[in-house]
Amino acid sequence: MNDDNPLTILVADDSATDRQILETIVARDGHRVISARDGREAVEAFERERPDLVLLDALMPNLDGFGAARRIKALAGESLVPIIFLTSLTDTDSLVQCLDAGGDDFLSKPYNRVILQAKIKSFNRMRAMHSTILDQRDQIGRHHEHLLQEQTVAKQVFDNIAHSGCLDSNNVKYFLSSLAVFNGDILVAGMRPSGSMMVLLGDFTGHGLPAAVGAIPLASTFYGMVHKGFTMTDILREINGKLKSILPVGIFCCATMVDINFQRQRIRVWNGGLPEGYIRRAGGDPPEPISSTHLPLGVLSNKDFRDDLQTLTLNWGDRLYLWSDGIHEARNPEGEMFGDERLKQVFLDNEDPQQLFDEILDRVQEFIGKGERNDDLSLVELLMDQPERVNAFAAEAERRSRSSLSEWSMNFDIQPSSFRAFDPMPLLLNILVEVPGLRQHSGKLYTIFSELYSNALEHGVLGLDSALKNTPEGFAQYYELRQARLDAVDKGYVRIHLHHSTDDDGGCLRVRVEDSGPGFQPDQDTTRHGLEQSGYSGRGLALVEKLCDAVRYMGEGNEVEAVFSWRIDV
Amino acid sequence: MAITSTLSNDGSLLTIYIQGRFDFSSHQDFRGSYESLAKPPERYRVDMQETTYLDSSALGMLLLLRDHAGGDSSRIEIRNCSPDVKKILTISNFEQLFDIQ
Amino acid sequence: MSSEDHRTGEKPDHTQAAEPASAAHLDREILQTLQEVMEGQFPELINTFVNDSEERIRNLQKALATRDQESVRRQAHSFKGSCNNLGAVRLAELCQVMEDGGREGKLDGLEHELVNIQQEFSQLKSILNTLTE
Repeated sequence: MNDDNPLTILVADDSATDRQILETIVARDGHRVISARDGREAVEAFERERPDLVLLDALMPNLDGFGAARRIKALAGESLVPIIFLTSLTDTDSLVQCLDAGGDDFLSKPYNRVILQAKIKSFNRMRAMHSTILDQRDQIGRHHEHLLQEQTVAKQVFDNIAHSGCLDSNNVKYFLSSLAVFNGDILVAGMRPSGSMMVLLGDFTGHGLPAAVGAIPLASTFYGMVHKGFTMTDILREINGKLKSILPVGIFCCATMVDINFQRQRIRVWNGGLPEGYIRRAGGDPPEPISSTHLPLGVLSNKDFRDDLQTLTLNWGDRLYLWSDGIHEARNPEGEMFGDERLKQVFLDNEDPQQLFDEILDRVQEFIGKGERNDDLSLVELLMDQPERVNAFAAEAERRSRSSLSEWSMNFDIQPSSFRAFDPMPLLLNILVEVPGLRQHSGKLYTIFSELYSNALEHGVLGLDSALKNTPEGFAQYYELRQARLDAVDKGYVRIHLHHSTDDDGGCLRVRVEDSGPGFQPDQDTTRHGLEQSGYSGRGLALVEKLCDAVRYMGEGNEVEAVFSWRIDV
Repeated sequence: MAITSTLSNDGSLLTIYIQGRFDFSSHQDFRGSYESLAKPPERYRVDMQETTYLDSSALGMLLLLRDHAGGDSSRIEIRNCSPDVKKILTISNFEQLFDIQ
Repeated sequence: MSSEDHRTGEKPDHTQAAEPASAAHLDREILQTLQEVMEGQFPELINTFVNDSEERIRNLQKALATRDQESVRRQAHSFKGSCNNLGAVRLAELCQVMEDGGREGKLDGLEHELVNIQQEFSQLKSILNTLTE
């Protein structure tokens, strides 16, 4: 829209002379003219024709200019329709009255054509700008609406994943705004099959959707792993790795994770980047801090990630408090921050530990007063209590007693056609890690199986002799021979039998590997000293013996049984 | 490439990087990385940063390297082991034979 | 300052009251600009003005007769407006007097002003008619 487009202009004046002059001037300029003789006609004409600009005589019969101006402005609504008052009035009061009534400008008599042209042009520019502003405002409005919808969807996705786990257990108190996820704050808690409770409080950098985005993989990883019995370090690593790979540089998650063992009255803590938490002992001593000793999650690659934990004893009745930085950074109307001193003071002032959680919140809210409302306050209290009194503990024990994979056995029979093509180890291991108690021992189990299998395959089925591996050249020859025989093998078998059972404290896995070979008589020396000799081979079975509770050789020596047991929550 | 190696500028240190599983299938490449050098280096470093697993045959291969490097007078470091790898080396008492970190 | 309309050689008129100071009937510049703008419609405009003005004068008479001061004010104000547009400066001044009287409520003596207006107007009419011949 440029300044010189022809407009539709309404001319309202009760003097025929003046009207005629104005009509001519305006028409000469190329605009379309509509005329009215009084205020009422002016309003009617406006409603009908919706002109772009109005020239209005101030004093007219039948609704004077002021009244007409008010009505016209009301009819125009949001759009800008400039009203120029035509007037011989010169006193300030009258001119003010014109402006108050909605007039945008004046044109005095005698009408000056050049001035009128300039005013029309100027108002045209203003109308264009105004129209753009309205469009942009509408656009912003739509985007905002859209953003709110996206946030609502994101929140639903998040809520589906981040079900409250065991946050409603009776030993947990927490305060989190319902839109906390958009402030980057997240709290997840779940029971491990072993009966300990794992809690993670996280604070993602940023706000809005970017902050919420990281919360989803964090929550789904946490809940996916906790119930399967993974350890705290496993879970921390997994979360760290995921966040590192998906979040852009500069976005990370400050977090504190706790594993609470009610039976052993012990907690393990990892704090990466959150303000120090406090332990409030039942006795009422000053609070003990739990400081941040690590970088936040998602900063370091997994190989550099430090997963060392602090282990602390907590007696029944002691409480652990965690928070994100929202409490320290809460501001009062004067702009001061709540800070550590005040927070510590709440602890020192507290007499009844059961009230402490509420006292902290009250004190902070009081401090904020009429200051900026802060949606960032996140606070968790965890009580160390006797297992029987923790209802989440009872619920988990109940669940465990009903769960599967506690007693089972499995047989594998590997035939020649499979030897070449198929390495059974990864498959076996995948099955085993579904057993909660075995998962944290996957490294050892892999070694045990590998050694037993290669022993059975190489010596039993392929008939290779380890003695060949006594020299560097022999070593190479041995493996060349291994490959050659493997390619040619057409008979023989390796049978693997697994049996697993559990009891209250843990479980026991028995592995038996039998091969089709003639067997061997492992003499005491070979295995016991296997790890102490300096030959290039012969360590395999010795390693197995070291890693297992017991190893037996049966049959003709072509059958080896290894027993591996695990305890709950080592 | 599962096994790579770099020689320091002055030729005094050979670093062998083992990626993935260190087992019998790595034998040829592992041996190849140290046997073909014109002048034997003074020190060797086996970097296990990316090593996921090692089995008993790998233990044998480390010993082959040690013998090649002079046996008791050899200077071989093993670095950046993951907990699982370190465990196997420890059970096997290899810290008596190698400088392990 | 008195001036004459040289085309017709009209004599400047005399008013019975002491004021207004200006004796000019028409501002030539304004009228000229108006002629340029109106072009072929100039005669029509003059016609409209004349008819308009006659009606205004009638309305003023009525308003004075009924002592309707608001009406006096409004009519005079409106009349003044068109006069200004035409460049009829003297007539406009007379209307201003009428307007002030109406606004202040001092209607006595305004019949006298109306006569002045009528006289000025008839002089103006002649001048204007010659312009449109």
